[in-house]
Amino acid sequence: MIKITELEKVYRTEEVETIALNKLTMEVKDGEFVAVMGPSGCGKSTLLNILGLLDDPDNGSFMFNNIEVAHFNERKRADLRKHNIGFVFQSFNLIDELTVFENVELPLIYTGVKAAERKKRVEEVLDKVQIMHRRNHYPQQLSGGQQQRVAVARAVVNHPKLILADEPTGNLDSHNGNEVMELLTELNEQGTTIVMVTHSEHDARYSHRIIRMLDGQTVTENVLV
Amino acid sequence: MFKNYFKIAIRNLWKSKGFTFINIAGLAIGLSCFILIALYVVDELSYDRFYPNAERIYRVDADIKFGGNQLNLCVSSDPMGPTLKKDYPQVEEYTRIYSSEGDKLVRKGNDYINEEKIVYADSTFFRIFPQTVLSGDAKTALFEPNTVVLSETAAKKYFSTTNASGQTIEIDKKPFKVTAVIKDMPHNSHFHFDFIMSMKNVEYGWNNYLSHNFQTYILLKPGTDYHAFEKNFQQVLDKYVLVQAKQYMPGLNSMAEFRKSGNYLDYFLMPLTKIHLYSNRFPEFEANGNIQYVYIFSAVALFILLIACINFMNLSTARSVNRAKEVGIRKVLGTGKKNLVAQFLSESTLMAIISLALAVAIAYFTLPLFNKVAAKSLNSKSIFSSNFFPFLVALPFVVGVLAGLYPAFFLSKFKPVVVLKGKINAGFKKNIFRSGLVVFQFFTSIVLIIATVVVFKQLQFIQTTNLGFNKSQVLMIQGAGALEKNDAVFKNAVLELPGVKSGTMSGYLPVTSSRSDNTYSKDAVMDPKNALSMQSWVVDYDYINTMDMQIVKGRNFSKNFGTDSTAVILNETAARVLGYEDPVGKKLYQDYQDQNGTRKIVLNVIGVVKDFHFESLRQNIFPLGLRLGHNNSIISFKISGTNVKPLISQIQNKWKALAPGMPFSYRFMDEAFTNMYRAEQRVEQVSITFAILAILIACLGLFGLVTYMAEQRTKEIGVRKVLGATVPNLVAMLSKDFLKLVGIASLIAFPVAWWAMHKWLQDFAYRINIEWWVFLLAAFIALFIALLTVSVQAIKAAIANPVKSLRTE
Repeated sequence: MIKITELEKVYRTEEVETIALNKLTMEVKDGEFVAVMGPSGCGKSTLLNILGLLDDPDNGSFMFNNIEVAHFNERKRADLRKHNIGFVFQSFNLIDELTVFENVELPLIYTGVKAAERKKRVEEVLDKVQIMHRRNHYPQQLSGGQQQRVAVARAVVNHPKLILADEPTGNLDSHNGNEVMELLTELNEQGTTIVMVTHSEHDARYSHRIIRMLDGQTVTENVLV
Repeated sequence: MFKNYFKIAIRNLWKSKGFTFINIAGLAIGLSCFILIALYVVDELSYDRFYPNAERIYRVDADIKFGGNQLNLCVSSDPMGPTLKKDYPQVEEYTRIYSSEGDKLVRKGNDYINEEKIVYADSTFFRIFPQTVLSGDAKTALFEPNTVVLSETAAKKYFSTTNASGQTIEIDKKPFKVTAVIKDMPHNSHFHFDFIMSMKNVEYGWNNYLSHNFQTYILLKPGTDYHAFEKNFQQVLDKYVLVQAKQYMPGLNSMAEFRKSGNYLDYFLMPLTKIHLYSNRFPEFEANGNIQYVYIFSAVALFILLIACINFMNLSTARSVNRAKEVGIRKVLGTGKKNLVAQFLSESTLMAIISLALAVAIAYFTLPLFNKVAAKSLNSKSIFSSNFFPFLVALPFVVGVLAGLYPAFFLSKFKPVVVLKGKINAGFKKNIFRSGLVVFQFFTSIVLIIATVVVFKQLQFIQTTNLGFNKSQVLMIQGAGALEKNDAVFKNAVLELPGVKSGTMSGYLPVTSSRSDNTYSKDAVMDPKNALSMQSWVVDYDYINTMDMQIVKGRNFSKNFGTDSTAVILNETAARVLGYEDPVGKKLYQDYQDQNGTRKIVLNVIGVVKDFHFESLRQNIFPLGLRLGHNNSIISFKISGTNVKPLISQIQNKWKALAPGMPFSYRFMDEAFTNMYRAEQRVEQVSITFAILAILIACLGLFGLVTYMAEQRTKEIGVRKVLGATVPNLVAMLSKDFLKLVGIASLIAFPVAWWAMHKWLQDFAYRINIEWWVFLLAAFIALFIALLTVSVQAIKAAIANPVKSLRTE
């Protein structure tokens, strides 16, 4: 599914040049659950943003489903993104003004799904994350765990091939955290590829493989399964 | 305490420069409009109030309907003034002004100068309208015939000194003795004369109650109710007017009978102080103001100021999240609500003060422009005059409170516990009040846009409508009376020049020029039912051809008919009023009166000319008859379009040879025509200017709101982008709400604008229909400008990299 080769990303400010990714090479196969770990500033988030087609690399190759996407323009990236990738953030990033239902519905609107079909799919996925009873509540009215379940629901409602999770349990207590991890595992078992950035060894153990990064490069890979 | 408030206020304003700029710019523009219009209104309301007895001075006006003609006059008959004084002790004094002779030639050395502000007046003129006398004695100045009083300007022009009394001046080749020099009349007087000649020089068929040619002013004794006094006019009618009317209409027994036949002759009093704003009669000395425009201007000024204040309210409340924490901390520290309100109010007042300073500067420098638009001559010094300045000082406090009160209460009611927990998110969510204010702003803008378009269309209609004559390429040589016996020679000489097609000699033209009304009857004996009151114009053989008028029945005047001196050509309206299907060959009877008494004249109708608009399109076409005769005050030439300048100088050379020393002055007829619609052009300019300003200020506010909203929703925009929203999706999302408000504003503006413009158009007898597309156009313009304003910021927010906005946690 993902094959990146010698990927480079450099951030420049007026005085400092920060190498975020330094000729990084890695591969994620269809159906894999990969955890990316490493200290702050090692380039995890940059990697995730590039994988999520939110940012483009300066150099190197990024094959997504055997298509070179490294130099896609904004419109093409957005198109690829909304059909193939779901995001789960540490801080949930739900829209406060929209209800649970509307939040989850949003990606379907942007991919042009018809209203009736949207309703069916949103209800299906809300059922799956067990938040159906809260469908008309606003994010502020939910607990952190519930909010993250909504966020996961939103990430998967479009049936993406890939879910990118950026410290999905970072803002949750261990009980709620485990619930979310189990949800991700379940999704993975149903065939969704997952790449997750995390600081938590506990969470990383849910994955098949841990990639450890330092200074913009992979240092080790542990295969867990 | 106050010092502290202002210190914080200054820092706060400085901290959010963009917000401050938008507010100050908007307020300054709004305030400068307000100042300019306030100056205008104050000036309009001040007309004629400087005369010591202004409240007791009245002009005798007359409304007449007779013989198919309808007249609203500001003149009355010559014996009216003397009769009122003789019969009614309430009348302390009267004075009459006679200006029917029009321009006169005044000699300076070997040259003659055409003077327009020249009238005859009774010697009592200065008792009713006291003037500042620079030399001589105004009280006795006009007792004797052949005396004249000069204005300062005229005295300096002809004698290079204001000390000119005792000198002799030649007016229309007659010597007049200057008996006094007065200061130029104040600009806010409804008349301005440079020459006032003695009434004793007027040659006139005196003591004629039926002819109205004299502006008559009366001074009532203190305590007289003028409405009650007006009832006395009935007695004057019965006692004097009826007696004379009977001479022409022997069958007429009473004025009541006259009224019964559908005619009327009503006199009433117009208070001096109302003349400028309420009187639009014939013949006014100068174009008066219009109370309607005072109202329109004032309303527009208030609305623009309100729009600017609304910007402040909207931006302040929208920014409330940023201020909420400050409010919370202050409250925790023990600040009361009252103090917070005071603090926010001092902020808005400070801003209003800064804006006012800017506004005064703007007003000061744009006053000449405003003068041009409003056709005023306001002095920039009057901004600082003693009766205007206190108003200016008070203004920022009023505006500061007006703009600041709502935000102050909105902000100061935040609960510290909620605010400090960071839970307040009142920032940009639906706020009906704020939406209402935006709707109001665009409502005003859209009404103004519609007004602009309608006025523009009406003016265009006036320019292009078929007038029944062709005004283009007609060169009018004015003051041609100065040619005296050479007039025909001049006309023929000019006709020989290449490029001149035809020419006609007549002072009566379908643009502002000479007018005279006469009464005719179908039968030899006149009664109210067979009478025809109509304009009678003296023209020559070439008039109808040169003006491109159309004979629809009968024939034009012709040299082949020896009897054409008693011929008359009627317009269609006159034929209709007489009730003739084909009036050609019918007779009209006229009682002709001059110094030698009354004679009966019989006229033969030889033709009918297609109705043409000889007054402005505000009025209906009234009966008119053309008579063959000699009137040389204007000679008009139809010319071909090319090389106008050399042609004019050739004509001027002919003039110089035939009328040495006489002023040569010309005008194109279409230009004279356009001048008849000055007031409408002014409305057009004013509405364009204010529509632009209103939109500009409203958009400034909108820009601020959108900027702020985009800032508030950065995170949301990021999330949506990650979820697949495209830039157009996002721009649409951000703009939608505002466009909805503009849409609502349009819907409210449509009926209001329709009503207002419909009313305005009623002033025109000939007018356009307001078409539906005007409304759509206005809504479209407003939407387009709003969209442009909104989308600049929306696009900026939408193309921002979501990675950045999501990272700011």
